[in-house]
Amino acid sequence: MTEAALGRTALMPAAPPRPELPVLRLDGIGKRWPKAPSPVLADVDLTLDGGTLVFIGGANGAGKTTLLRVAAGLIEPDRGEIRVRGLHPVRDRRRYQSRVGFLPAGTSGLYARLTVAPHLRLWARLALLPRGPRERSIEAAAWRFGLEPLLERRVDRLSMGQRQRVRLAMSFLHEPQLVLLDEPLTSLDEAGGDLLTGALAELASRGGAAIWCAPDAAKASFDRSYWLEHGELVPA
Amino acid sequence: MSGVRTSAAAAAAIVRRDAQIFLSYPFSFVTPLLSAMFGVTLFHFIAQLVHNPAVGTPDEYFAYVVVGIVILGVLTSAVGTPPAVLRQELVAGTFERLLLSPFGAVRSAVCMMGFPLLRSVVIGVATLAFADAAFGLHLSWPDTLLAIPVGALAAVAFAPFGLAVSASVILFKRAAVVATLVISAMSLLAGAYFPVSLLPGWIRWTSEVQPFTPATELMRHLMVGTALSESAWLDVFKLVAFSAVLLTVAGMALAGAVQVGRRRGTIIEY
Repeated sequence: MTEAALGRTALMPAAPPRPELPVLRLDGIGKRWPKAPSPVLADVDLTLDGGTLVFIGGANGAGKTTLLRVAAGLIEPDRGEIRVRGLHPVRDRRRYQSRVGFLPAGTSGLYARLTVAPHLRLWARLALLPRGPRERSIEAAAWRFGLEPLLERRVDRLSMGQRQRVRLAMSFLHEPQLVLLDEPLTSLDEAGGDLLTGALAELASRGGAAIWCAPDAAKASFDRSYWLEHGELVPA
Repeated sequence: MSGVRTSAAAAAAIVRRDAQIFLSYPFSFVTPLLSAMFGVTLFHFIAQLVHNPAVGTPDEYFAYVVVGIVILGVLTSAVGTPPAVLRQELVAGTFERLLLSPFGAVRSAVCMMGFPLLRSVVIGVATLAFADAAFGLHLSWPDTLLAIPVGALAAVAFAPFGLAVSASVILFKRAAVVATLVISAMSLLAGAYFPVSLLPGWIRWTSEVQPFTPATELMRHLMVGTALSESAWLDVFKLVAFSAVLLTVAGMALAGAVQVGRRRGTIIEY
């Protein structure tokens, strides 16, 4: 973790986080897709305190992406409770989302015809960052993921790995408390992986937490690791 | 106050994004402008064939229909374009970002109307200028300037239809056919190309239950001096009332569609 990265920590958040509450709390999460013979998530419990990095592995279709989407507030579980720093994903939607950064799997989620800089500017505004912190956050995100030379390049002219860096930068840009990463190493080279590791270390150093999902064990170091099997989290 | 400023910045960012994407394609404005010019030219010649007291002289009918074409362009931008953009967002995976943003999917979907409406205004002004330069369309000055706020009000009144179709996109994933149906129905039933007085009595009531008729009537009156069938203030009142009621209903429908999609887990499917 470099000093420069640590120096760009307290850019946000709109409301002070409540460190006495866990960053993420999942209680008894259950989700079954229509016509599926068994639930994709069955009674998942997970609590992440500040500074915790968790790995969740599992076979294709085990439910890792569903679990991340539930934690992100993107889809509702059939049962169970979700809280990020005590906030509810629907009742406190805006404050909840300002504390969550989500990297979906794949390489989608970018506007092919736009250059990198407008992506970062758009996301900073959608994150409702005030003007001063907004500009600093954009600069910090571009720096953190090595995007400065690419800012004026159109996204559809970037390599897949460079696009992944843009997506990562958007996930970290608003200084979230919780970062949810779905197969974050997709197309990333070693240098990109190191940048991600640095960003996670910086997140942990400011009391945030992250979940990293992938089919196989990642090379980054984690505080805890689980496997998602038959809809349940099993310590690895 | 800071919340209002950051929300305004987010709204402006979506409009700017849509403008940047639109302008990133070469000759972006050429195709719709040419299309409008062809439409105006076509109706200039059709107008020469029209001799009906319901629409006056050929020149009067030409003026009548040019304003109809302009307003239909605004309607198409409000009803057809935002759902199409939303559909593209779903396919590209960018809608997920909007859903997960503090600004939110519903407000983002509303803001997606901004650029299409601005574009339709530019094309509308260019259409009127072309009709004036090429075929001597006579605009009433300075009343035509009043058409700007009335046009803005009309755009607000048309917006709920676009929001409702966007809600359909979120729920059913394909709703272009609904947008086409709404635009076609409006062009038939609301007096875009011919007066609603020519409609059979049993269907004429439909011209009273949507905002397109008062909008076209008022805009025509202001721009080309067509006589009003009722008071201008009554038309304004209708537009305000339609806007207030329909926007509320459409906003609730859109928020409901997002909620249903989240609950079903289909929100980002396409």
